[in-house]
Amino acid sequence: MGKKKSAALIVLVTVVLLGLLFICFAPTFQAKTPYDYRSLLGSVELSTDLGGGYSTVYYPEGVISQSEYDLIESLYTAAENNGDTSGLENPADYTRHKGVYLSEDLYEDGALKESFVDSFNAAFRTLQRRFADKGYADYTVATQDDYTIFVQIPYGDETPGDLFNTFAYGGSLYLTSETITSVKGLESWTDADIKGFSVASAGDSGYAVALKFTKEGRERFKEMTASMVEAEQTTLYLYVGTNQVLSVSGISSEQDTSTLYISGSFTERADAQTAASVLDSALDEENAFSLVLQYSQVNTFEPSAGTHTALAITIAIGVLFVAVLVAALVLYKGMGLAHAYAFLTYILAFVLCISLIGGMVVDLAGVLAIVLASAVMTAFNRFAYRNIRDEFYKGKTLTAAIKSGYRRSLALTIDVHVILAAASLIVMLIATGSAHFAAAIFLAGILLSAACTLGVTRFYLYMFMAQPKNKIAFCNFRREEADEDEE
Amino acid sequence: MKSKLLSKKTVLILVAVALAVIVAGAFVCGFLGFAKDTSKKDAVSIQVSGYLAQGDLRDPLEEFFLDKLSADGYSVAEVRYGTSYSLTDDILEFVLAGKADRDLTEYASQLQTALEGAGIEGVEAAVITVSANNIEYAAQPAPVWRTAVGAAVVLVVLLAYVAIRFRLGMGVTAFAMALFDVLLTFALIALLRIPAGAAMVGVAVFVLILSALFESALFGRIRMLLRDRERDEAAVSMTAAEEVAAGAALSRNGIFAAAIGLAAVCMVGGIVGLCTGVSLTWIMIAALIGVLVCTFTSVLIAPSMYAAIKTASDARRAEKSKYNYASEKRRAKAATADAAEQAE
Repeated sequence: MGKKKSAALIVLVTVVLLGLLFICFAPTFQAKTPYDYRSLLGSVELSTDLGGGYSTVYYPEGVISQSEYDLIESLYTAAENNGDTSGLENPADYTRHKGVYLSEDLYEDGALKESFVDSFNAAFRTLQRRFADKGYADYTVATQDDYTIFVQIPYGDETPGDLFNTFAYGGSLYLTSETITSVKGLESWTDADIKGFSVASAGDSGYAVALKFTKEGRERFKEMTASMVEAEQTTLYLYVGTNQVLSVSGISSEQDTSTLYISGSFTERADAQTAASVLDSALDEENAFSLVLQYSQVNTFEPSAGTHTALAITIAIGVLFVAVLVAALVLYKGMGLAHAYAFLTYILAFVLCISLIGGMVVDLAGVLAIVLASAVMTAFNRFAYRNIRDEFYKGKTLTAAIKSGYRRSLALTIDVHVILAAASLIVMLIATGSAHFAAAIFLAGILLSAACTLGVTRFYLYMFMAQPKNKIAFCNFRREEADEDEE
Repeated sequence: MKSKLLSKKTVLILVAVALAVIVAGAFVCGFLGFAKDTSKKDAVSIQVSGYLAQGDLRDPLEEFFLDKLSADGYSVAEVRYGTSYSLTDDILEFVLAGKADRDLTEYASQLQTALEGAGIEGVEAAVITVSANNIEYAAQPAPVWRTAVGAAVVLVVLLAYVAIRFRLGMGVTAFAMALFDVLLTFALIALLRIPAGAAMVGVAVFVLILSALFESALFGRIRMLLRDRERDEAAVSMTAAEEVAAGAALSRNGIFAAAIGLAAVCMVGGIVGLCTGVSLTWIMIAALIGVLVCTFTSVLIAPSMYAAIKTASDARRAEKSKYNYASEKRRAKAATADAAEQAE
């Protein structure tokens, strides 16, 4: 590479890296538009431990909170003083149970009705399943005061109220040709008819919910759509209990299909997943619950690992990375400079991947994955440099030593990256929760590490090597013969 | 070159101790389970909700309740903050240490009364509700089991890849060491009662991948050395153990450098956690244990184990490649007998 070409490339690469540094790491500031400028790092999706999230409490019908009880009590007392309590709930109709109050309607012979307890347990299991299906890095579905359900989820693209509301739907699954207010006389669809619901890509229109029929279900659906055509009904409704979840319009002919794709105008995958989760859980007749669940209000909660943990750990890792780069510059001089540029490229590409690719959520395990992937990248650059140094001190010219050093590093670098990429891909595909996201982040990191170690660093090394007169000194090497001559 | 591998006896003692730790960890885990972190631990919490005017009134209210709880003999494990998404309510939650099965509703009423009597400036006690709630967390086994299945598949793939690309003995050693690393790390986490949250499953993945990295780096360097020696006709004769020791010595610096770097991150992260949130500290301690275990096995145990396998396999190969004089004598005898028969 010529000196001029090298200088131009150095300027170009430096400008691009500086620009990307600004885009990725610049702190939030007020731009001239009505919106704040937000860096890519700021838009990285965080799990509950680093980013906090939404929480709510589901109250079954007949169970009220302390504050609601206090309100009923104060209204009733005020009305009693005025001498007219008609139309008001009597606080005496409620019995305290831990932190909540239970309506006397839930009791039978002094004990809680078995049907209520069974239905509550079924509702709890169903909610557990629905939130598990959402594939969060971390979430909580817990019982609070025995008869309410406490839920925590990370921040996301969905409106939390809509999500909590949809997940409260109880009952079996019904496919109908008209809107319903009661399920009396309707026959539900179970796992004997439908294998399950999943999310499918709908191209430009976003996402769709895919419904897979069993053999029997396919026949039943064929008959149903045939009768719909006969009755000139063109819209199919999917209900969970009496709650409409989805509808399919434009059914003009008998449908004989094993998979029905329902486009619900889902622009976000998460919305489609919510619908699919609710419909899928309704196939399980054992856990279909009749209980009416109401959530009191949606709260936000601060990160469980500490309010400023994400910021503090970003700064700490940033300082450590800078220390590693300085060490590389001191130890390897010019080669260290090439490593510094490559590492910067790597980190910027990593931030771009984590913030722009969907499905990347960072939690504490994700932080470990980022650090480990960065360590792999640094270690293999160091490995290549040591091989170059060894080859050089065997007596080869610098150019030959670089070629030979990289050749010697190639097999192990590829092998280790293949092993690590395969391991993270397998964990990503099989695991759920924190492990899934940590593996996804590590996979991105290891692919970038392979690209940077095998290509980018070498390119930068050649780019910088074209500049200095004394290339050997630039690489912090010394020719022993030359030293002897000098002596 | 003198072999720098540990003696068989030392390796056996180390492995026996490690296995004892794994068994003890399994027992502790079986009987007590992992220690849960405060974010998923069954607990009684005192919740203060209403218009707290975050920032302005939250601090004096927090101070008041912390003092009151402490004076009444309650220990607070964690303070959580929240706000209502749609209303102007704020939430201040004190998670109490100790058992979750206590009914503190009466006590919450006393706190409410105490708040009303405290007359904190700017606080309108009438719009604030103090309640006690008991939260019982349900186990979420699915992510744990699915990660375990994923890890098992990774181990098999590691065995197959290293065995095919490197050598069979190396594959077997890498498989055994990776399994050993994950089990030993989690046994230590269970024994030390390090609180584990959802991210601890991710630590298992971290340890598995780190182990795969160290083992593949170790065996990669040994393979490089063995190949160089095969090509070099002037190479000095070495035993299998000496060859493995020389290869392991080449990889040691790199493994130590990576381990020191990762341990530094874990320690810095742990210290940061002490200032911001203790669950970060616990995760970093768990990761640090993983780093130490992986370094221990890849530097001390794995080379010795592979040396033993290589010595045995080299001896078997040498035995097979020996010229079989006995069979030659038998063949000659048979040929003589055939010739004699034909002559007759």
